Amino acid sequence: MATVTESKARFDELRLSGKVFLSNKTAVVGLAIFLVFIGDAFLVQVAPGVLGVQYPDSVVPPQFTQTNPECVGTAPEAPSFNHLFGTIQYGLSGIGCLDLLQLVMKAIRIDVAISFFIVLVGAAIGTVVGVVSGYFGRWLDEAMMRVTDVFFSVPFLILALAVGFVIGRTLVNMALALIIIWWPLYARYGRSLTLSTKEATFIESARAAGSGRLKIIFRHIMPNVLPPVLVQISLDVGTVILIFSTLAFIGFLPSNALVPELGAIASIGLDFVALGDWWPVIIPGAVITMFSLAVNLMGDGLRDVIDPRRRS
Amino acid sequence: MSDALEIRDLHVRFHTRRGLYRALNGVNLRLARGEVLGIAGESGCGKTTMGLGVMSLLPRNASYPQGQVVFDNKDLVNLPREYSEQVGDRFSPKQNERILRRVSKAMAPIRGRRISMVFQEPMTSLNPVLPIGFQVGESIYVHDPAQLARRVLARSKATPELTRELVSLLAATHGDETSVRKFAAEHDLAGIEEQALFVWSRGDIHISRKEKAIRALSGQPMNFVERWIIDTVVRARSIPWYLSRIPILSRIVRRVLMREGNRKARELLTSLGIHHAERVVRMFPHELSGGMRQRVVIAIALANNPEIVIMDEPTSAVDVTVQAQILELVKRIRTSVSASFIVISHDLAVLAEVCDRIAIMYAGRIVEVAPTDEILHKPLHPYTQMLISAIPTLEGKPVEGIQGDVPDMRAVPSGCAFHPRCPFAFEKCREVIPTDLPHGSDQLVACWLYEGK
Amino acid sequence: MKLWVYVIRRLVLLLPTIIGLTFLVFALEHLGGNTLFLAQYINPHLTGTAREKLVEELTAKFHLNDPVYIQYFYWLAAVFQGDLGTSTTLGQPVATGFVWFMPNTIMLTLVASVLTWIISIPIGVYSAARRDSILDQGVRVATFTLYSMPVFLIGFALFIALGTAWHALPDQGNIDPVLLPTIPDAWFDHTNAVSYPTHILPLDAFLHGDWTIAWNSFLHVILPAVALTLALLAGIIRILRASMLEVLEQDYVRLARAKGVPERMVQNFHAKKNALLPTVTSYGYLVSGLFGGAVVIEDIFAFKGIGWWTTDAFLNGDVGVVMGSTLVFGLILVVTTLILDILYAFLDPRIRYE
Repeated sequence: MATVTESKARFDELRLSGKVFLSNKTAVVGLAIFLVFIGDAFLVQVAPGVLGVQYPDSVVPPQFTQTNPECVGTAPEAPSFNHLFGTIQYGLSGIGCLDLLQLVMKAIRIDVAISFFIVLVGAAIGTVVGVVSGYFGRWLDEAMMRVTDVFFSVPFLILALAVGFVIGRTLVNMALALIIIWWPLYARYGRSLTLSTKEATFIESARAAGSGRLKIIFRHIMPNVLPPVLVQISLDVGTVILIFSTLAFIGFLPSNALVPELGAIASIGLDFVALGDWWPVIIPGAVITMFSLAVNLMGDGLRDVIDPRRRS
Repeated sequence: MSDALEIRDLHVRFHTRRGLYRALNGVNLRLARGEVLGIAGESGCGKTTMGLGVMSLLPRNASYPQGQVVFDNKDLVNLPREYSEQVGDRFSPKQNERILRRVSKAMAPIRGRRISMVFQEPMTSLNPVLPIGFQVGESIYVHDPAQLARRVLARSKATPELTRELVSLLAATHGDETSVRKFAAEHDLAGIEEQALFVWSRGDIHISRKEKAIRALSGQPMNFVERWIIDTVVRARSIPWYLSRIPILSRIVRRVLMREGNRKARELLTSLGIHHAERVVRMFPHELSGGMRQRVVIAIALANNPEIVIMDEPTSAVDVTVQAQILELVKRIRTSVSASFIVISHDLAVLAEVCDRIAIMYAGRIVEVAPTDEILHKPLHPYTQMLISAIPTLEGKPVEGIQGDVPDMRAVPSGCAFHPRCPFAFEKCREVIPTDLPHGSDQLVACWLYEGK
Repeated sequence: MKLWVYVIRRLVLLLPTIIGLTFLVFALEHLGGNTLFLAQYINPHLTGTAREKLVEELTAKFHLNDPVYIQYFYWLAAVFQGDLGTSTTLGQPVATGFVWFMPNTIMLTLVASVLTWIISIPIGVYSAARRDSILDQGVRVATFTLYSMPVFLIGFALFIALGTAWHALPDQGNIDPVLLPTIPDAWFDHTNAVSYPTHILPLDAFLHGDWTIAWNSFLHVILPAVALTLALLAGIIRILRASMLEVLEQDYVRLARAKGVPERMVQNFHAKKNALLPTVTSYGYLVSGLFGGAVVIEDIFAFKGIGWWTTDAFLNGDVGVVMGSTLVFGLILVVTTLILDILYAFLDPRIRYE
């Protein structure tokens, strides 16, 4: 049971952590940008009208049959006062041009949600497997190491393509494919953390005192494993978006699926590059970069807080 | 006779996110020539900081608000102190780094040559990817490459007749250094005396082998490039810029000179009691035991015959048997080498073995300095007294710890820093910082109990 | 002597991984029944009795009605003999396609790797040594931004800036279409756009003395290589800088300074060697991303390597190529990791002289 002084000490630690984090200007900027993304995702989910977004789950509503009357012509228009991000043509799908800003706002929600989904599920599965494997050791551990080795042996992108080929090219399947790729990372990470915690003598003393195995795992190992894993999760949210948006860019999602996803939008934009229209690709790409940048900045700030050496 | 080193009122502060640590708060110390001075104290009292501070090896977040370190009539901490005085509270580690770079350049000819240091952890002190011979020879390569070049040159100039003469000279004079040096000077073989004397003084080989070894010092062949490099370095007494800057050439120069550095390293290691030095020289640090590594580090420190050697906890990271070996080594060294030593340790027993005088440190200040016997048998300062009584002895008296904790260096107590833990503390102790009061003929104590005695 | 033991041990550990890899690919191919697998051998245009007959043949050859482990055995035997199915997009056996296109990808990744290391070592070392200087801050900002960019953005930015917009460098394919007909048939297969003997166009042209073709095709390599290098640089410089910073805090660096070693020598000699070692290990983790990046870059620049072929196949439902890619890339990655591990063991005296 934590005494009053212990609780106060922990609170002081938190305040110091907060101070350290906030003193890092770039981390704060990252946090601000990240909050903008979260805000957009939240708004589009709950009250899309506020942002002027319609039919948030698709590029156009399913029963759409005619071209968008908002813009004219058959080529994307450059960014202008009317269309802050310009427009983009879903010409091959017979849809014509759409406002890129709206599209991007819809896509942000999807991308952010998928990022969290992949990392959280992958981390959950992976960490559990890793901790169990690391704790019980011996043949179970060896077997797990071999399995993860196999998954590590194929480059991310290729494996995702192969899995996508087999289970189908939809948005959810793309997330699933990436979860399959992501869990081994956490399994390894969780395992190494478990092993190093296991070496610590307080585990020995807990065993000597007669604690049951499950109890040891929860009371002793998890508290040592979770914080670094959480930090890793926070960093990975920024990394995973780079991978699945690139997947979508290559063409994982069939273009007639009309999914608003930043990589998919960029891949549509690629068709117009001969006209010198850079914005349909650059803008979604830049938005992805902003998100990843923000998360990385925050992650750096977090690491400053957690890693004792960097505190001085 | 002037002092080897004098530290005057030195203050050092560490600027961290958790606050300002006042590591040194007015350290006054004099190191006489040829003496072995011990610095004792608990962990955190600032002894290591003082050692590193003398060499200006403190990290960039350390500031020197006040004080001097006087060596050879120069203040070694001049630059960082001026910077601290300039910026006051706006101390920036990033700016300090630039100052430190200038300091390093100024200190480079002193470090490793006139003042050298032995660190605490032999395990991590040596570079794991470089062979031992290189790391030892590097000391000489950096400070006196001409010495290495001269040795090679001497060997190539010496003829078999000359070396035979040298052998008989050594036998006749029983290895008298002066005559050998005269011999070398007369025959223009500067550099050979060292090598010959080394072989002669070895205790582990038979005299006939010694003769063979010395005669083998003659007629070493050199190819054209080597000859040119050696000649240039000897003449210039250092490595001229064109040899050290041009990429490929500098590599060759280094290789040629470091080969000799390896030979010299072998001699140094043997003199420190390492057997089979020829093999050790080619090994990597992880292949050696802790005791051997410590000897290697000591060899590096002594390579250039420094005036001062600072040893930071030389025995703390090794086990007891190795500890004894190292202490024996230190005692042996001080008789054969003219340097002054500063030995830092938390273990008074270690210091009692080798030191002439011992200084006790507490909370960044020296609280007592006296000859070893006086400290051990007639400790004056209450802290010293408690330290002495905390040493377990064979008689089995009850060991008394010192109550209280070492103060948080962010908030050093006012007046005498020890007053919260001192059973004899009175009013003045809380308010005024004690000055160094002389006591007896050669003791100094910073305690108001001895005022006016 | 101990190095050989290490190599043998690593090779032995490799085997389960490779076997596991084959399990993985086999599983993927047979996950939804045998249709996916069969599609590797059957031309989609084939219908009717001809198709049924082919299906019968294949079922017999690969024992598709027998238990799974027997199927695996026959499948593995076929793979060993180089039979990975037929590519519908290429009209050739999959294995042949790999032989044709792999050299280009290998060349691209090698060039990018070499360039990356050459550039990042001085930058990383200097940036860490001059910590928080203007250069260091600039490097940190640049690498941070690059690191946060998706690979396709880097590729596309170069593509559109230097290629389409300014026409500074060629940005599509391996050679100017105008020059294509001028390549002699003696060493160039025009139907499949493959050169002989190395299948790397600039190299083959060089070997055959055709300087125009050699130069032009070389120019076509520049943009993809630079794009891939930029993508890789960010990761390596970060790691190298961090590693160097850590090394500079170490006791032995402090001892070197205490010895009076000039700062330049401390950095370039004492610190750099120690900083590079963990970077080699970290590079191993980046190689997976390197190949993935190569796939994307090849796609953007239409550079005819395995990556380009695989994405093309993926979009066109060419099973054999996708599955074959998984296997082939897996093997390449495993071998590369092995080579890197051995390199590391060779360089680190702690392992070499155990």
